[in-house]
Amino acid sequence: MGEVKVEALKATSLEIYQGELLVILGPSGSGKSTLLNLIGGIDTPTSGQMLFGKALLSNGREKDLTRYRRQEVGFVFQFYNLIADLTAAENVALAAELVAEPLAVDDVLRDVNLWERRDHFPSQLSGGEQQRVAIARAMVKSPRLLLCDEPTGALDFETGKMVLRLLRDIQKNQASTVIIVTHNTAIADIADRVLRMRSGSVAEIIINENPLPPERIEW
Amino acid sequence: MTILTRRLFRTIQAGRGQFLALVLIVTLGVIIYIGMSSSYNNLNHSQQQFYHDYAFADYTFQVVKAPESIVARVEALPGVLNASGRIQKDVPIIKEGRERITGRLTGYPLPMENELNRLHLLSGRQLERQASGKVAVLLDPQYARANHLAPGQDMEIIAEGKKISLTVIGTATSPEFIYPMKDAGSLFPEPERFGILMLSQLQAQQILGLPGQINQLLVDLAPGVDEEKIKEQVEKILAPYGNISSYPRKDQSSHLVLQAELDGIKLFALTLPLIFFLVAAGIQFIILTRLIRSQRLPIGVMKALGYDNCRIMWHYTSYGLAVGLVAAILGTGLGIALTAVLNNLYAQFFNLPSMTNEINFRVVLYSFLITSLVGIASGFFASRSVIRINPAEAMRTQPPSSGRRTPLESWPWLWQQFSSSWKMSLRSIFRNRGRFAVSVLGIISSVVLLVFSCFSLDATDYLMNQNFEQINRYDYMIRFTEPIKYSEILDWTRWDEVQRMEPMMELPVKLHAGGESKDEVLLGMIPSNRLKRVYDKLGQERQIPEEGILLGKRVADKLGLQLGDEVVVETTLGIGPSRSSCLIVMGINEPMTGSGSYVSFSTVNSLLGEQELASAVLLKLDAAQMPSVENRLQEMSRVASVNSPARERETFEQLMGTTTTTIAIMILFAGLLGLAIIYNSSVMTFNERQRELASLRVLGYSRGEVSGLLRKETWAQALLGIALGLPAGKTAGAAYMVSASTELYSFPVIIYPRTYFIVAGLALFFVWIGQQLAIRKVERLDMVEALKNQD
Repeated sequence: MGEVKVEALKATSLEIYQGELLVILGPSGSGKSTLLNLIGGIDTPTSGQMLFGKALLSNGREKDLTRYRRQEVGFVFQFYNLIADLTAAENVALAAELVAEPLAVDDVLRDVNLWERRDHFPSQLSGGEQQRVAIARAMVKSPRLLLCDEPTGALDFETGKMVLRLLRDIQKNQASTVIIVTHNTAIADIADRVLRMRSGSVAEIIINENPLPPERIEW
Repeated sequence: MTILTRRLFRTIQAGRGQFLALVLIVTLGVIIYIGMSSSYNNLNHSQQQFYHDYAFADYTFQVVKAPESIVARVEALPGVLNASGRIQKDVPIIKEGRERITGRLTGYPLPMENELNRLHLLSGRQLERQASGKVAVLLDPQYARANHLAPGQDMEIIAEGKKISLTVIGTATSPEFIYPMKDAGSLFPEPERFGILMLSQLQAQQILGLPGQINQLLVDLAPGVDEEKIKEQVEKILAPYGNISSYPRKDQSSHLVLQAELDGIKLFALTLPLIFFLVAAGIQFIILTRLIRSQRLPIGVMKALGYDNCRIMWHYTSYGLAVGLVAAILGTGLGIALTAVLNNLYAQFFNLPSMTNEINFRVVLYSFLITSLVGIASGFFASRSVIRINPAEAMRTQPPSSGRRTPLESWPWLWQQFSSSWKMSLRSIFRNRGRFAVSVLGIISSVVLLVFSCFSLDATDYLMNQNFEQINRYDYMIRFTEPIKYSEILDWTRWDEVQRMEPMMELPVKLHAGGESKDEVLLGMIPSNRLKRVYDKLGQERQIPEEGILLGKRVADKLGLQLGDEVVVETTLGIGPSRSSCLIVMGINEPMTGSGSYVSFSTVNSLLGEQELASAVLLKLDAAQMPSVENRLQEMSRVASVNSPARERETFEQLMGTTTTTIAIMILFAGLLGLAIIYNSSVMTFNERQRELASLRVLGYSRGEVSGLLRKETWAQALLGIALGLPAGKTAGAAYMVSASTELYSFPVIIYPRTYFIVAGLALFFVWIGQQLAIRKVERLDMVEALKNQD
């Protein structure tokens, strides 16, 4: 079987600003997840350059990328990806152990309103709770970049909104940059900027002068 | 090819590392099984054939001297099929014009057709019936090789005080010389210093001044007769001629060694492969169980399509069958190679004329059957879980596997000490207890095999050290052609070089007690002995009693004697009439080798009614002067042989070379077993936690840290396996030693502390390699891929 080269992401030039909430919107296969993975340093571009501040990320050096992920990036996935053998608190502590000055695990768990469930294993938590543990795990390192791949994709409406509110708060309180990838157009309303993608390219960038609070959006 | 077969190939292809690791373990088992079983069959067959074709005697009787006519009288006894009379005597060989070594002069009545213990010519020409002219002699091949003697060359011996020249005409062997050893007390053959000299009976009688006489009687018994009864009848006939000793075939020194080797191979051929097969079955079961669990969805789909349970079960069982068949094919090839290597080794050790080198097809067939059975059985038991999979349920998304608390968490103070990654590993271990246990058992087996491979070296080393450093502290042991008066050589002590000299008298006797009797050789030494000491199996020095006897434990057990009992000692030495005296058992001695019966020098002489008769003396010299003394000793006509422990030790160390090869092979096999187990367990953990490991990488854990996490589980298995395997290895060694003890040897279980460290080091090394191979997967772990799909 021959291999077919598929271009997931075409030539794109993009700047992301510190402290903004950016929503990347697009149907499946539009390249939005690939873009997020590149930003998060878990994938490397075949060509082109990526800079974080002044540091070059696209040189492909595994060590640099690991350090970048460790210190600057928090990731939240659609299916949470928690460690089944660790309790909620331990999952958060796992990330905290990586950085020199993490936030206090208990404080973070209180922030996501899970302090009472701290000793539960992932299998004993609901989807929304699991996602909040995942967010706490990302937050505890106080990263400058919080990347969320369809964070509400597996959640019901109310829980989804709660998670979005949490993300908005983090962006506001910790002055982190939050990037949310989603195919759900309603979520775009909470963003400072919205990036629309189609077939591997950026179709348009919309600046949202008056983002809505997450409580007020509907889908 | 059906689609399912094609899918099987793809499953194997996708997890080829694990498949190969499994194949490796089973292959090792097959190699050992085929190698050892074939060697056993070959050696056993060669032995039986040779014994039969060359009429190995059932019983051997030693007399001082008797007329040849006695043979016919023995032959006439009912139950005796055949008897041969011959001359056999140890004589000094003058090696390279000076050094004295021992030759066992053995006469053969010619023509040989109806005689027992016939000769098989290996090279050169046959003995001929001639009374005069140059004396032609055949040598055992080891002696000829070690002393570079070829047909046509001459050699000198001393007999009846005269130098006699012999012409070598070739090499030969006989059932009694398959493994030529000087005596039962020898620890190993010394072909440089001991040889078998085979010549015509007439010439042997002439050389030894015994015309018409024999001193050895070989007897072949009818099957099923009462050996003891016939032995007594023969001994009665021989009594007037000084019956020195009699022993059945099973006590013959060459047979004893060969039989011990055969028993050893047989034991290993049965037990070692079993370990490999059982470990493989356990791992295969776990791999398939895991595979089936991870393939719930495709299994659900297959069921939804209409495949029945049997079809799907067979699909997974055939994975096991594939392992078995591939391993049987590889193992057969390599097993045949191992058989050739072992055969070569045995051909060097044992003088067997036609060492069979056959591939035993039955063994090969069994290998295929066994490995297929192992594969099918483990596959079947693992795939039973297929039945419980409900198609509708299987096609739904699975909840995350449930984390569970471990018993360790009942102690929070302890649990808090662990880092998150250790907590992960520990919980995973407790969740997968079965798999963990199988891996630990596998490592235990590997470590037991390693201990087993190494400890024979320790036992031998201990034995040699005891022999050369504790027991034999003399520089030379000088044996005389006939016992001499010690006073006659007392002037040797005035030689400048001689620091100390002690006399020794070896006396063959019959011991009688409670209606039983047993042949034994008593060693008479002065109770203030310093040059040759007596140590028991446990390494305790024993004192030679001034009066009475320090009795060997085996004889004591046979005669039912205890401390303080009386034993009747009947001398059977070829000089003077036989005398009987009574001795009190002053001690019971269990030596590592030999019989272990001792009396004082004065007691042995009073048993003989003599004074100061010595068969040998021990000398301690000034180290610098040794060569000059040896030269002087070699010149003396009454000296039969001059033995030096230093030289013996050299010979022994050369002999150990071949053993090291076998041990190296064993270590390699045991190590590969450990490696394959750890590889498999690492890969299984990796496959299962791929997604978690990828999440960790995303969180910012480096490759090293993630690999470390995988390693924690395997280290836990390895360390536990090693900790339990070391004592288990010792126990297995002890059990083996008990079963391997013979009349000649009884080894203690000696394992030096050093060996435990070496074994642990070896095990850790192989474990580490297994991990490295598996850890490569972490290097290649694609985070995006691993996190993309929810199972």
